[in-house]
Amino acid sequence: MAERWDRARVLALAPDAPSQRAAQSLASGRAWSLTGAAQPGAARPGTAQPGALWGECRGSAAAPYRAVVDLSGPAYRCSCPSRKFPCKHVLALLLLWADGSVPADDGEPPGWAAGWLAVRAGRASRAQAGEPGEPKDPMTAARRAEQREARVASGLAELDRWLCDQARQGLAASQQAGYGHWDDIAARMIDAQAPGLADRLRALASVPHSGAGWDGRLLEEYALLRLLAVAYRRQAELPEPLRQTVRSRIGFSLRRADVLAEGQPVRDHWQVRGRRDLEQDRIRVRRTWLHGRKTGRSALVLSFAPVGQALDDTLTVGTDADADLVFYPGAVPLRAVVLAGHDVLDGSPPTGDTIAALLASYAAALAGDPWLDSWPAVLDVTPARSPVPAVSDAAGHALPLHPGAGTCWPLFAISGGRPVTVAGEWTPQGLWPLTAWDEGGRAVPL
Amino acid sequence: MSEPERAADTVSEPERAADTVSTWQDLVTASLLGTERTAVPPSAVPGGPAQADAPADPAALLLDRAALLTVARRGGRRPEQARPRPPAEPDPAPAVSPAAGRRLARMLGGEHPDVLAEWLSAAVARGLRVPAHLLPSLLDRVRRGSQADAELRRLTALAGGSRARWLAGLNPDWKFVTAHAPAGDHAPDGDDAWRLGSAGRRRGYLSALRARDPGAARELIAGSWDAAAPDERVMFVNVIAGGPSLADEPLLEAALDDSSAWVRKMAADVLAALPGSALGQRMAGRALGCLRLGGGILSRRLVASPPAECGAAMRRDGITPGPGAGGSPLAGQAHLLLEVIARTPLDTWTGAFGRPAGQIVAVPSSAGWAPVLFTGWSRAAMAQRDQEWMVALIGWALADGPPAETETLRRLARRVDPAFTASGITAGPLARLSPAIRDAITVLRFRYDMLKELDDDDSAG
Repeated sequence: MAERWDRARVLALAPDAPSQRAAQSLASGRAWSLTGAAQPGAARPGTAQPGALWGECRGSAAAPYRAVVDLSGPAYRCSCPSRKFPCKHVLALLLLWADGSVPADDGEPPGWAAGWLAVRAGRASRAQAGEPGEPKDPMTAARRAEQREARVASGLAELDRWLCDQARQGLAASQQAGYGHWDDIAARMIDAQAPGLADRLRALASVPHSGAGWDGRLLEEYALLRLLAVAYRRQAELPEPLRQTVRSRIGFSLRRADVLAEGQPVRDHWQVRGRRDLEQDRIRVRRTWLHGRKTGRSALVLSFAPVGQALDDTLTVGTDADADLVFYPGAVPLRAVVLAGHDVLDGSPPTGDTIAALLASYAAALAGDPWLDSWPAVLDVTPARSPVPAVSDAAGHALPLHPGAGTCWPLFAISGGRPVTVAGEWTPQGLWPLTAWDEGGRAVPL
Repeated sequence: MSEPERAADTVSEPERAADTVSTWQDLVTASLLGTERTAVPPSAVPGGPAQADAPADPAALLLDRAALLTVARRGGRRPEQARPRPPAEPDPAPAVSPAAGRRLARMLGGEHPDVLAEWLSAAVARGLRVPAHLLPSLLDRVRRGSQADAELRRLTALAGGSRARWLAGLNPDWKFVTAHAPAGDHAPDGDDAWRLGSAGRRRGYLSALRARDPGAARELIAGSWDAAAPDERVMFVNVIAGGPSLADEPLLEAALDDSSAWVRKMAADVLAALPGSALGQRMAGRALGCLRLGGGILSRRLVASPPAECGAAMRRDGITPGPGAGGSPLAGQAHLLLEVIARTPLDTWTGAFGRPAGQIVAVPSSAGWAPVLFTGWSRAAMAQRDQEWMVALIGWALADGPPAETETLRRLARRVDPAFTASGITAGPLARLSPAIRDAITVLRFRYDMLKELDDDDSAG
């Protein structure tokens, strides 16, 4: 049987805060008429089978909802109609297990659970048998790469024509257009093997409805997309780092193994300054910002997990990670991968910049990478409320907060009207605050 | 691609900035209409492409100029101005330890949310305050809620301190905090509040008077009783219930004959919990007739003989007749026994049986009356705030006693002083226990840990 998780790990799987609350109130146990845990099937020698959980929970329907968890994934299944994944019944069952309230090794699971678990076990053994890998033959690899370049080139030409069409017909029409308007062109970009462009295009669907100034924002995005298309067409003329940036924004992703093999590791005490999670297409992405104490470099580490799985938790905000980082190549290298972690140390609060210094550093970075829309910021500022939520520094300058960051009340509470050190992401729509340091010098994630 | 660089540099000059803004607006307007309908505005974008390089297609030209201006505007952005509000006053109270703060965050996240009031009042009692970053979610949690949650709001306002008041000034949703402000030089309401004010103000005046001078408040109530409406009489009893004493007894005895059922019930509840009251003695007389220690010299069992019917005197003392004609006679009798025991002062039993609470509950009872005894004694213990009995009853339930009716066990687990769990009675695996007992043990452990964290000081981290 797998080692029991703790409550925090279970709650981290929840898709949102209301799910966490609903799961905790369901986990009181009174609604559960049957729970059990076991190791299904015979354990193969040499493998650790983490086992499974199951339970029946009384809900609003006549028949109780049945939830099953396969801990090897983890994977879940519940008969309730909820769209959330994992649903509150699965989370509550996991919480009961974490508290030790599920009788363990209770024999075989009931029929409805055993069937699903057996199917999963069958799928897992088939998957282990063979995986399609990269072709070993360099000729095939070269031909594939050529094909991709050709597809991307024609895809970008098509995007260029589409963008010019938009400019010709006028952006006013896009307020009435549905999501299909952008989904179509995004699908063409997927066909052209340029997923980076597809993501940007799909994100545009919400811009016409984002309030005042939508027209300017849409024009900005279209203009930058055309810039990307032109840059790709002329990529031979570009300096190598900029060429890498253009290609990575289009969607040519480098494999982690290649980055680690070709890059120079940079060892430093990397202060973990802030992190933010988002969800894109059923994948959860964690963006963690680091700053090297000695080298003074900033780094962005991305980690991914499918919806329903836990994200990597090794970098904790407020600590320093003594680690080797390898940066992805680019004109303004920010994205990095942790090659090896040596130690975790307690961190002291960073010294904040002024707003003017932040804007100057962003302008310098833009000169290298014009598409840069997310820049690490650490400021000594006081949050203010009127007319829009903003932060202002001692020099009297102010920057607005990103509307997506919400009301940011915890930031106001920590500050209490006094200057506070805040780390966040600077974007063209405003500052997205991620961490603040309170009077005790403790990092508080926002 | 040096155009963005040059553009960023030149736009930072103030004279050019205004030109760039109007140029951008022109471009946006042109793009809204479309280059089919309007020409691309002529613009001298600093660092823009030379005439010869410009694309022939006006749409492409517009997009190219827009790209340049976008990057230039992003890089050359000037900060705005903002006036921060006056800062909050510093708070003399120290914050709770980080561990206690994490526990509060867990409660706000949905783990045992019903224990929140206890955490807050324990923090206030120790002179600690809520950590600043948790204030917004705490304030949001307690601002909703009925009159019953007013106590929760009051505790939040006290535990939040000056930072909470400052936040309330920024967010109108939280203005309840300033309503509870414990401002020292807040002048008490004058007589006008009593003579002319609304029900809420009269209640406030009376509560303040009761806190200062209970006797004067009692006289005021006695004088206003006959003229008051039923709702207001309920309020009077409520104010007395905050801190009753034997001097209030005549007033409450008279209230047992009041015309409003709610007034009668509330008065009976207060008198039952008041040590030394006449109602308590009457109940004791009835109770000793219902439950005695039998089984020979060794006194091995409790014999229950429930009252046969609910007479007028019993009804006056607050006992309700119970389920109507539809229920079985046994259920009716069980209900009456329960009510009698629930309103009897607990020292009746220790006096009559000559042994402490812990031993009394251990005596087996006849014919399945144990759940009724458990529920009755538990209600009495909670009303009379008798920790010794509460500990004995919880111990009995955890040692596989008679939960049957789980709501009482749930409430008992939240009222008993969790210090007794240090003896290890709640240790051990939970898996095989019934859900009600599991819930009771979990909440006892939670409350025990919570109170320990509030006692530890900051250094533990």
